[in-house]
Amino acid sequence: MPGKDAASVTAAESQSAPTVSPPPDERSAADVRDRRLVRRIRNGDDRAFEELVRIYQNRIFGLTLRMIGNRQEAEDLAQEVFLTVHKAIASYRGEGRFYTWLYRIASNTCKNRIKYLRGRNFHRSVPVEDNPEAQGGGDGPVVPLQSQIAGPEAMAQGTRLQDAISRELANLDPEHRLLIVLRDIQGLSYSDILRITGLQEGTLKSRLHRARVALKDRLADYLK
Amino acid sequence: MNSPEQSAELMSAYLDAELEGDEAEAFDSLLADSPELRDELEDLRKVMQLVAELPEVEAPEDFADKVTRRLRRRQLLAPEGALMGLISLPFQVLSIIVILTAAGLYMMAQLERRPAKIERDQPAVQVPVDDPEALRSGEAPLRPIER
Repeated sequence: MPGKDAASVTAAESQSAPTVSPPPDERSAADVRDRRLVRRIRNGDDRAFEELVRIYQNRIFGLTLRMIGNRQEAEDLAQEVFLTVHKAIASYRGEGRFYTWLYRIASNTCKNRIKYLRGRNFHRSVPVEDNPEAQGGGDGPVVPLQSQIAGPEAMAQGTRLQDAISRELANLDPEHRLLIVLRDIQGLSYSDILRITGLQEGTLKSRLHRARVALKDRLADYLK
Repeated sequence: MNSPEQSAELMSAYLDAELEGDEAEAFDSLLADSPELRDELEDLRKVMQLVAELPEVEAPEDFADKVTRRLRRRQLLAPEGALMGLISLPFQVLSIIVILTAAGLYMMAQLERRPAKIERDQPAVQVPVDDPEALRSGEAPLRPIER
């Protein structure tokens, strides 16, 4: 799914989870839209802020859920991300795309929360895919793993595999997990991930490789 | 010969189609010579595909409403929002405050006025008249002391 572009997602589109890389002119249109929204928010327009939330809520909630692994905690965290954005919008200097700044705030907030939760010995109580909402809500172009094989047993097998992937992903080192989510799930480009994480290009590539290898090793039993 | 770090970088970049033409060709020839590398690459591709096929996650329907409600609460609690918050308090609460304040002022005014009134209305000290009969019966009329 590489190439999915967060900035290109309009409020309506964000509900249906796009999977196709947009053409450059659409991407720049999204950038223009974001810049306008930022300007309006800075001028105290709360409706602009709400619009921004609706555009990016699925992306940010998806990130926090995959990072934290608990829906309630992830929702609270995603809300916190947007509140931080509202508070810090005056300090946004407009360098690069707006959503890379948003994602940077989101990933830092996630890392801080993970540290905090570890200190409190927090355990994920609800697997990511347990809630029907997590199944895509029926509107998006979701192609579940179950659909690759027919029959009830195959469906159950596919669900087990999804649960295993979600679980093992949640057990990865947070730095590795973040890169897998940003690149392999949300489909951000290398240049966007570099801006979000502040890593050097070589470090990003090698760390991403190690993250994928770690996940592959954890899923070895399921891949046979 | 690449270091493990360089190999890792190359593998990621190859899987993500981020290698330039020459680098991609060089990596292709490496793959041709190494079945282990090919197997590793295939396994990683499989993992990437499985991860990419996880269902998309959607935020709850009322997510944006919750965020804006939290934002308003924070703005009310912030020092700069306190005055606005006071102004926007429900009318009933303001009415109660006004009524309580008026009642308090009225009571204070009453308390201040009462000693003066007591002083003004206080009857002069009275002594019984010189009526022996009345004095005996205990019903002697009183007459005011003349000051």
